[in-house]
Amino acid sequence: MNIVIVTPDGELYNEEVNSVIISSANNGDYEVLKDHLPIVSTIDTGYIKLTQGKMVFYVVVINGVVENINNKLTVVSQDAFIGRSKESAFKNLNDIRSARNEENKKRNIELAKAERELRKQIKMTGAGQL
Amino acid sequence: MASLREIKNRIVATKKTSQITRAMNMVSAAKLKRVERKHVAFTPIKSHIRRLLEDVLSSNPELSNPLLEKREVKKVGYILVTSDRGLAGPYNSNVIRYFDALVKEKYQSKEEYIVGTIGYKGYSYCKRKKLPLLNTESINSRDDVKFIDFQAMSRAFIELYLNNGVDKIVMIYAHYINSISQEIKEEILLPITDLVSDKTDLISDYIFEPSTEEVIDQLLPIFLENTLYGIILDAKTSEHAARMTAMKSATDNALEIIQKQNLVYNRARQAQITLELNDIIGGANAVK
Repeated sequence: MNIVIVTPDGELYNEEVNSVIISSANNGDYEVLKDHLPIVSTIDTGYIKLTQGKMVFYVVVINGVVENINNKLTVVSQDAFIGRSKESAFKNLNDIRSARNEENKKRNIELAKAERELRKQIKMTGAGQL
Repeated sequence: MASLREIKNRIVATKKTSQITRAMNMVSAAKLKRVERKHVAFTPIKSHIRRLLEDVLSSNPELSNPLLEKREVKKVGYILVTSDRGLAGPYNSNVIRYFDALVKEKYQSKEEYIVGTIGYKGYSYCKRKKLPLLNTESINSRDDVKFIDFQAMSRAFIELYLNNGVDKIVMIYAHYINSISQEIKEEILLPITDLVSDKTDLISDYIFEPSTEEVIDQLLPIFLENTLYGIILDAKTSEHAARMTAMKSATDNALEIIQKQNLVYNRARQAQITLELNDIIGGANAVK
């Protein structure tokens, strides 16, 4: 069966796999094998375990929609990260997300500072009114 | 008339400004292309979720969800999409002016609406005007848009809606038409009314895991966030287009000023030479 994992940044994964285990905090776990009936479910925070021969991959998914039809499983997610183990994938994704949040906070402070500075300069030069 | 050196300084300064604006123009053009591509790539994702949702709704017409039901509007939530930084021509002021006019026309007191802002410009405006704000700190509107940036706010708004804090959520943003024109648009985010729930061409009969109700409960917020994301991408495209146009005209204006100043400079130089010649001739005549 074919699995496609899509995020807003593009396709993350598109391969043939033997089996897929979908696990999420809201729905629990279930496995999808070849010739499964058409199924739709959602993942708020969870992971997808992909087995491809002897290889196993984990994809951590945030806010995803899973749809399986005609042996093609499509996962549309808002954020996803692929890793060799569940823990490392979760850790990496969390690291990326918290780094992003930190950066955003920093940017806010910088923008506030820049705006204050601009106001000061405008006042000093007496150029127009803000 | 200003002295020669003053005019020269002015020409040099204007030249430097024009270099900066030209660079900004080119940066915006590149970013515009990138975000446009992202927007195009995102459209199939959005329609995929929409199709799924419509399928679920049409196969279960008896399903109801508070996010889908219209109710009497007592309080409205507005989401203003602006940029983090200025120098984008009328991009931010257009959105703000539109919102201002709307508030003046529709509401008497600040109790009747609440504002959520995306982008620092909108946030600082609302804070200055002391409007009722939902987000306590600015939601970044970065060039590399990510869901995580505005997830907290969108969830807060959905929760507020479900708790009857607001009865309608409207987004105000600059819709991208082409690189020279953008128009301010209002879009109703909640309640969701534009879904077709009586489709006849059902693609298949799905099994819903764990249940239809739960799938729809989770699918709706995801759908909303995707709509929001699509709108932000649209606004981002407009922002880059607006900045590109603004910087283009700034460069043109700077070049025009340089040309005029050059004329003034040459005239002043000529005058000075004439003056010096007069001095020399006068001096020589005196010696004779």
